Amino acid sequence: MFLSVSSSPTSVPPTDRAVHRVLGIETSCDETAASVVDGGSTIVSSVVSSQIDLHARYGGVVPELAGRAHLELLTPVLDDALKRAGTTASGAGIDAVAVTYGPGLIGSLLVGVAEAKALSLAWGVPLVGVNHLEAHLFASLLEQPDLGWPLVVLLVSGGHTLLIEVTEPGRYRLLGRTIDDAAGEAFDKVARFLGLGYPGGPAIDEVAEEGDPQAFPFPRSLPGDRYDFSFSGLKTSVVNMVRKRPDASTADVAASFRQAVVEVLVTRARKAAAEVGATALCLAGGVAANSLLRRRVEEVCEADGIGAFLPSRSLCTDNAAMVAAAGWWRLQHGGASPLTLGADPNLGLVAAG
Amino acid sequence: MTLLAIESATDVVGVALIRDDSGEAERTHVGGRMHAELLAPFIEEVCVVSGCALGDIDAIAVDVGPGLFTGLRVGVATAKALAQALGLGVLGVSSLDVLAAAAHRHSGVDGARRVVSVVDARRGEVFAAAYLFDRDREAAGPIDPASVRDDRLEPIVPQVLVDWLLGMVDETGPVVVVGDGAVRYRPLLSVHPSIELDLAGELSSPPPLALARLAVERLGRGGFALPPEALLPDYRRQADARINWEERAPRVTAPGAPGAPDHRRA
Ligand SMILES: [Zn+2]
Repeated sequence: MFLSVSSSPTSVPPTDRAVHRVLGIETSCDETAASVVDGGSTIVSSVVSSQIDLHARYGGVVPELAGRAHLELLTPVLDDALKRAGTTASGAGIDAVAVTYGPGLIGSLLVGVAEAKALSLAWGVPLVGVNHLEAHLFASLLEQPDLGWPLVVLLVSGGHTLLIEVTEPGRYRLLGRTIDDAAGEAFDKVARFLGLGYPGGPAIDEVAEEGDPQAFPFPRSLPGDRYDFSFSGLKTSVVNMVRKRPDASTADVAASFRQAVVEVLVTRARKAAAEVGATALCLAGGVAANSLLRRRVEEVCEADGIGAFLPSRSLCTDNAAMVAAAGWWRLQHGGASPLTLGADPNLGLVAAG
Repeated sequence: MTLLAIESATDVVGVALIRDDSGEAERTHVGGRMHAELLAPFIEEVCVVSGCALGDIDAIAVDVGPGLFTGLRVGVATAKALAQALGLGVLGVSSLDVLAAAAHRHSGVDGARRVVSVVDARRGEVFAAAYLFDRDREAAGPIDPASVRDDRLEPIVPQVLVDWLLGMVDETGPVVVVGDGAVRYRPLLSVHPSIELDLAGELSSPPPLALARLAVERLGRGGFALPPEALLPDYRRQADARINWEERAPRVTAPGAPGAPDHRRA
């Protein structure tokens, strides 16, 4: 069964004014971002202010700190994005405002939603609420607008691990998801345990290049017979192993752990792509920057004779260009959102069922 | 002057608009944490009923707390973005000041001179400040609680508030107590006849119109608005530095489902 995302909680008639330039706003987690995108595909400006340093000492994102930081970064990030797009805070030349309204941290989402609604009011332009997960899918289209359908997208980040079939833009089928930790979360937790710092993905990626990926046979958990993922058992076995063998080389542990995560992700994604007859396998989300994951996806896609699409790092991690692109598309296909738009921290890409 | 006031520090979310020539408009909603949903529509509505466009606004005022963190962020983010887009500054006003001004206006010329504003800080604590009003001032006009007698900058437990109030009564006589913190701890506070709880509907939370009047008065006396980037809430509490991994990883669960994270706490 195919279900489309409802980006507009209540339907508002599609705007009759031509929409060219969309301002996108993204504050769902720990990046404060604003971007102007023309025609849904040309990035005119994209500003991302990361809060990594703020959360590093805690080894993860602290929700209340993130909410406070978004509020501090809001004005300068918007100012910068508008200036780089050749306009000002008066919004001249901006035809609509798109904003991530879920899923994510409620205290963070609300800051962006409040800002977007105020700008929509002040500029007299339509508001459109965007699903953050859908925005990640649109990130791929920004770089490769002529991707063929159907596509299988592996969306892996600190908050999400999803395997999605995209039959065409706006039509998704959820093939599988994590039943416990997200892949990026597993990287963060293991990196924190190994004392490698935050964010865990890049830290482990770097150390792992020096280690032996076969040193420790960590379990490859493939729950069920479909496409779901599970990473909490793997994390626990890393912790238990290091406690038992404190002399183990950190590089070997990191390499073996990374190998296990990537093998699970690639095995599932490859099987899904074959089953749905995908023209290409596409990566999205922050973990898509992992170098081993990128290498392995390229290898298996070449072996299977399908396309591999690996977006650039700046489009894998959270940004507002993808929000503007998804918002532009939503405006054409679903219309604007009402001014009563709220935030939904648990918003799913595909309605349950 | 046309001034827009944004109030979201407590369970009340509201907007007021004051125009020199054509009066006042106000929209409020109580409860249900609808701050994010209702603030922007309320702004649109007060403009429509006042027959004014957003571009006609000369000044923006916002309640900067203390109060609910999430509510404050919605209000301050809205005020910042509006001010940025309209090229205006923003006047930040304390929730405790707004409550005191509203209470003094409510009590009339012969009313009590001492008002204590109490805002519920959750987690078993309150924010509080005591104000001393000049009896000779015109109560019909806007009243700026300029002379703050004492402001407990940190959140305090209700028993500390009670002891503080009893000390005040001993020293100088009756005191009027207002705010949602007083509503919450009403039985605890009802310990002495000179502690008068004035918790009539409009005084349990800062009224948007009282915020607007106070802001107009302050601007008239030379108070200055901040550029939007400089305006921040007065949290008065360190951020809770716990990492909630569950909040980080929203599963595909239905909102409100058992185990779905409750991010809506202050
Ligand atoms: Zn993301």
